[in-house]
Amino acid sequence: MFKKTIIESTGKSPWLFHMFKKTIIESTGKSPWLFHINAGSCNGCDIEIVSVLTPRYDAERVGFKLVGSPRHADIAVVSGPVTKQSLPRVLRTLEQIPEPRCIVTCGSCPQSGNVFRDSYSVCGPLSKYVHVDVDIAGCTPKPQAIMDGLLLATQILAEKKKTGNMEATLPNPYAPTEAAAEEKKEEKGEK
Amino acid sequence: MDFPFVKKAISQLFSKPSCDMYPFVPSEAAPNYRGRIAYDPNKCIGCGMCVRVCAGKAITLTRTPVEGGENITLRFDLGSCTFCNTCADFCNDHAITLTTDYHMIATKEDDLIVTGTHFKEKKKPAPKPAAVKPAAPAASKPAETAPAAATAAKTVTSAEAPKAAEEKPAEAPAPVQPRDDGKPVNDPSKCIYCTLCAKKCPQEAIVVDRKAKTWVLNEDDCVGCGTCQAACPKDAIIM
Repeated sequence: MFKKTIIESTGKSPWLFHMFKKTIIESTGKSPWLFHINAGSCNGCDIEIVSVLTPRYDAERVGFKLVGSPRHADIAVVSGPVTKQSLPRVLRTLEQIPEPRCIVTCGSCPQSGNVFRDSYSVCGPLSKYVHVDVDIAGCTPKPQAIMDGLLLATQILAEKKKTGNMEATLPNPYAPTEAAAEEKKEEKGEK
Repeated sequence: MDFPFVKKAISQLFSKPSCDMYPFVPSEAAPNYRGRIAYDPNKCIGCGMCVRVCAGKAITLTRTPVEGGENITLRFDLGSCTFCNTCADFCNDHAITLTTDYHMIATKEDDLIVTGTHFKEKKKPAPKPAAVKPAAPAASKPAETAPAAATAAKTVTSAEAPKAAEEKPAEAPAPVQPRDDGKPVNDPSKCIYCTLCAKKCPQEAIVVDRKAKTWVLNEDDCVGCGTCQAACPKDAIIM
């Protein structure tokens, strides 16, 4: 997909693309631009996302930048339980982000509805409508956890650019592994 | 001329940056941070109180009957959790704790799920004969005739129970003895039949009739969690 758009837009033969492919992927992978969408959030996650960009946690030091238009963005950060009012607007905004894009949900709300679940005005989890790449759990997540999620999203974005597969995923380094579970069991046994 | 901030500005030039260099330097959460849930199935008694109090409906309890008992599985969906600590607060046996691990990132659904299963033995023959023949346990324990009869009467029928309750204060004001299996016993002399214990019981194992003044315990459902004892305003429940 990415390869195609490059060729179409430049009108150059593929060898030129292949020549700079590595450079393009590496350089864009280092500075993904974020677009933040509030889908009916309680403002808790929004505050934490802003705090990630403050000098204390300074996401810009890793290359993230909050942009004002979805057309400039690589990663969309969605917070809130996706209300009836916001659903069409969220989907329209997400469609405007050029591919390859990465959609990250921040907080428990967009994953399941959390305490707003089954409300008359909540349209359920975001994954019902679009492919979500990374979920950051927490209510709200710690700024460091948001940083973890965004860094993983960046890697997934690079993977998408490399392979051209828009639903590519990477192994999650923070997932509870079987080895860790076994270690726990051993610890218990020792006790 | 006075330059009030010069000293500060110069000292700031040579001080460390205030930035938290997180991805390169590991950072730990505050000691009481409420992060990933840790569940110990060996401590759990399967009362279901956590399921009842969870605001986000993040906890599901499933019972699968197996030979000689049942397997009780608790499933915590961290993607639906508010990390409010209420489940851990209400857990009588401290089976649920919230750890300081905040790295809760998921690329698929299973990454955010904490589960645990424990086996619960079911005592089939013990309660039933006691319910049918209240005389048999009473005969075997002549010293504790009154309390044994009282406990047996609770399991019989609602028709017989009020009789026992009426007879008791007149007949024997002896203190009610706690049971061996850790299940609650009601002291009719103290009980005011307020139904608080019935409302608080996570298994709905207690049936209280305010008019007839009966307190009936469904022994099959009771897990002996102690919630009714804590809820009783008159300390009428003994465990």
